[in-house]
Amino acid sequence: MAKRPAKMTDEAGGGHDLTIDLKPFINFLVVLIPVLMLSAEFAKISIINLKLPENRGSSPSIKQTKAPEQNDDNKLLLTMIVTDSVVTLGAKGGFLPSLFYREFHKYVSREDRAVEVTVEYDPSNPKKQFKNPKSGKPFLVTERQEILLYVTDENRNIINCLYTKTGEMLTDGAGNPLKAAAKAGDTVYILTNPRREVVVTDPGQYSLHPLSAYDEMKNRLMKIKQRYADVPDANDIILAAENQVAYDKIVQLMDVARAAEFPNIAISKLRS
Amino acid sequence: MAIQRGRNKYTTPKSAGLIITSLIDFFSIVVIYLMKSYSSEGSILTNADNLVLPNSVAITKPKDIYLQVAATNDMVLVDNIPIVPTDDIRRIPQDVPDPIVAKLEEKLNATYAQEQQMVKLGALNKIQGNVIIQMDKNVEFDVLFKIMNTCGKVGYNNMNFAVMEREQ
Repeated sequence: MAKRPAKMTDEAGGGHDLTIDLKPFINFLVVLIPVLMLSAEFAKISIINLKLPENRGSSPSIKQTKAPEQNDDNKLLLTMIVTDSVVTLGAKGGFLPSLFYREFHKYVSREDRAVEVTVEYDPSNPKKQFKNPKSGKPFLVTERQEILLYVTDENRNIINCLYTKTGEMLTDGAGNPLKAAAKAGDTVYILTNPRREVVVTDPGQYSLHPLSAYDEMKNRLMKIKQRYADVPDANDIILAAENQVAYDKIVQLMDVARAAEFPNIAISKLRS
Repeated sequence: MAIQRGRNKYTTPKSAGLIITSLIDFFSIVVIYLMKSYSSEGSILTNADNLVLPNSVAITKPKDIYLQVAATNDMVLVDNIPIVPTDDIRRIPQDVPDPIVAKLEEKLNATYAQEQQMVKLGALNKIQGNVIIQMDKNVEFDVLFKIMNTCGKVGYNNMNFAVMEREQ
């Protein structure tokens, strides 16, 4: 490639150099890159707004759990309860069946990003440390990358569900998670909001993975949203957590609630 | 060696031009990447090294500079000034119905008084009561609740949680 322009000058015979002078362009790029680097935003931080009502006293616990005095007959008072092994949805009328989960922590080593370990967390032994298989040192809390919650049955066996390759959960027409492999020609629903109907053509596109409690909770919340769209507090949800629940889980559940169109999230404390 | 030297004599061009095509390719890629992460607003929020914010799908950007309360595993800071060790907050009994972190309350009262002063001077229209809470994702809910309760008690009712935007 580099030789061709030289040849052209020979053929032209006039001694004119026909190569493009790239120096000004490079100068321009050299200036542009530092300018862009200065204004680049590599880690994007955003905020989740949580506006508490101003005139209902000062303590969030009293504000959020005490029912307002007026006009609460038609209200749903939807509450999500999070403890270290259960997520439950409750409302004025009662509770839905609890989602029991087992908790797995994914650690990524700081020194060597290739070391990735997923270990099961035992809520009865929160102080237990997990060792880095490569260096032998225990993992730091700051090396915990992700908390995964997998739904289990009564015997604490993890329930599997069909997922797409991009990690979206599949349900049937009634909104129940699909627990067996799909056949070609089946109609399945992808858990996006609103649900996307798909006719299976290639069953190999979907595979069974452990059912995430976050996905199942989103599924249930979407069903509730559809059914109780007319209640006065159709956008409200109360998130009640136990003391030892990690903040990360709360943020993930807030995301789930907002994905299911419950944007007004209140936070409350579950009294033990 | 002699043969090689002889061949070089004939093939060496008079001016050795720098091949900059690959350099330009590289620069172009860098420029496109940087343009993708370009932000005209800059970042109002910054986070400390030992503070790992949780990932979230939230895309709301902070518009103004608000009071910042940061809680790491060791220390609680208000506007980057260490106020109280997190272990002190953990020591507050959990069954207290209205837990208040005394040192944090004292500091927040001072900043709230400043805000009131600014309203008096006309620099602000009204007290907004905005606070951004930056919490390490591994801190437990108990600490968050006590901090939120203290903020609410002082008058900072408009709470915002800082989160790391998940890559799409």
